[in-house]
Amino acid sequence: MEVEVIETVYVEEEIIDHSVTKRVLKSFPRAVVIEISRYQEIFNKRHQNFRLQKKNPGLILAKKHDNFVLPVPSGFGMDAQKNFYFSHMYNCIYDCRYCFLQGMYSSAHNVLFVNYDDFFKSISDTIVRHAGSSLTFFSGYDCDSLAFEKVSGFAAHAIDFFSKHPSVELELRTKSIVTSPLMKRNPVKNCIVAFSLSPQKIAGILDQKAPNVGRRIKALKQLAKAGWSVGLRFDPLIYCNDWENMYSELIEDVMDDLDPSNLHSVSHGPLRFPKKMYKQIASLHPDNRLFSFPMEKKGGIISYGAEIEELMSNRIQTELKKYTTRSKVFRCTV
Amino acid sequence: MKRGTKNDGLAEADLQFCWVIALRSEANPVIEAFGMKTLTGASLFPVYINPDNGHTLVISGVGSTKSAAAATYLKTLLHIKSYAAWINVGIAGYYQEPRGELYQALKVLNQDTGKANFPGLPFSKFAPGSALSTVSKREQNFSAQVLYDMEASGFCELAPLFSCNELTYVFKVVSDTPHTPASLITNKVVGELLEKNLEKLSKLVGAIGDLVKDEKRRLLIPREIIDVMENCHFTESNRHKLKQVFRKWRTAFPDRSLNEVSYPQTSAKEFITKLEQELLNEAKDWKLR
Repeated sequence: MEVEVIETVYVEEEIIDHSVTKRVLKSFPRAVVIEISRYQEIFNKRHQNFRLQKKNPGLILAKKHDNFVLPVPSGFGMDAQKNFYFSHMYNCIYDCRYCFLQGMYSSAHNVLFVNYDDFFKSISDTIVRHAGSSLTFFSGYDCDSLAFEKVSGFAAHAIDFFSKHPSVELELRTKSIVTSPLMKRNPVKNCIVAFSLSPQKIAGILDQKAPNVGRRIKALKQLAKAGWSVGLRFDPLIYCNDWENMYSELIEDVMDDLDPSNLHSVSHGPLRFPKKMYKQIASLHPDNRLFSFPMEKKGGIISYGAEIEELMSNRIQTELKKYTTRSKVFRCTV
Repeated sequence: MKRGTKNDGLAEADLQFCWVIALRSEANPVIEAFGMKTLTGASLFPVYINPDNGHTLVISGVGSTKSAAAATYLKTLLHIKSYAAWINVGIAGYYQEPRGELYQALKVLNQDTGKANFPGLPFSKFAPGSALSTVSKREQNFSAQVLYDMEASGFCELAPLFSCNELTYVFKVVSDTPHTPASLITNKVVGELLEKNLEKLSKLVGAIGDLVKDEKRRLLIPREIIDVMENCHFTESNRHKLKQVFRKWRTAFPDRSLNEVSYPQTSAKEFITKLEQELLNEAKDWKLR
């Protein structure tokens, strides 16, 4: 999806004069602007049809009031002592079939919280509270970190902020190839640009509206060459016939000509959903073969099952060993 | 206008577009354009229908409550399916000219309660979007830059319950403005204003129809599985499970017939197990497309 096609922008009355609001609205000169009281009155409405709404979602500009920074569930991310995430956006302009956001929210509208400074204040407080700990902050948990950057400019602010806090890490997780905001500045060593990748044959079917994998790989190599730390995220691992060869080729393609010193980390994780979320997402796409697979249900989680997960995890780790050290490879379990 | 379609035999009609319109003068151009006929036996509100193209229409009368009531009446009377679109169209006041411009209401505010609804997907290619306030007395001051009507909020309260928010639509034609008072609007003028926008409305119906088709496909219970459920006793829980498993099986084996699956005709559970087993057997060489 191109962000230019947004036809409707809903704006909370409270932030109609906010500088970010004004800047964002300039990006959509032809959009209809509708004032709202609070974003929840539209975003949390009952009887919304996520699948239909995803065909032409609106943008909601809102103010976030609390929960700016949250701890990530254990089993997510790298080996920092404490991991946190923050969500300046809810939802994503891409439409990946396996994405948990489809089951997370009843609305497909994209929400952008414009009070960026409140996020950074909260991150700053968190850093102070955990002084001496190794911290990583994840952006892109409830959205793609860079896909909307041309409009939001949030990542640029975040990088500015984290450049002044070199002892903590920021991960921008993305499928976007919008690298220009990063390329036009000096790399910030504690900022990791982590790309979500699947073999092109799989992404071509499941990663709808997202840039193709070849372009993602090109973008990440460009960033690495410019000195940025990059991360590789093979998550979720998708099972299908010939997956072994497809993932081997993908890893070979990514690692080819990638300076290992700029590779921050590699993580991989299985396809898994909480039962309720799986049911919700599968009901949106009942004819999609991803959801026709005979999944296993264990402990309230729907997945391919331990056998396939182990098989895929072992294969990925074996492939990665050819190119990088074990210490950089992580297996996500949530 | 042709008259006289009986309610009998409409159970099979695939009604996909449900129009809820306040005034007869607003409704007439739509009734004509989509070839609807009076439904005899509809006692509470006048109802029109064309079972061939899937359009039906109810004339609600003026007011938000009547609009909600008429929509509910139509839903109940004709057992409208949950993939149908609900469309409220009519005239509205607006703060500026030109009269006759068609708008899509993207926010519908009940002026009395302050409650807002956000119906439909935007179709700005055919009709610009606007906010709309539903008022209980005709607006004369046009104090805000919004459309003013007297029905949409009631309609928007109920219609999403019958299908969903993205299949609920409100379109309004500007009839009165600060420069063109409502007192000048006659039934004839109302009819003309609607008629002038029929081409745009037809395009909108086409675009909404694509969404209806998509939703219908998603909710479809295939005929072959209905046959199985009729021929073999399934508990309610097993019926639900069968629908899910069969949908997966059909997706995995689009070219196969259920007749190829041998199972004991007397055991619903074994039939489900059989389908699940076939999916498991296929898992090793699973194709994503």
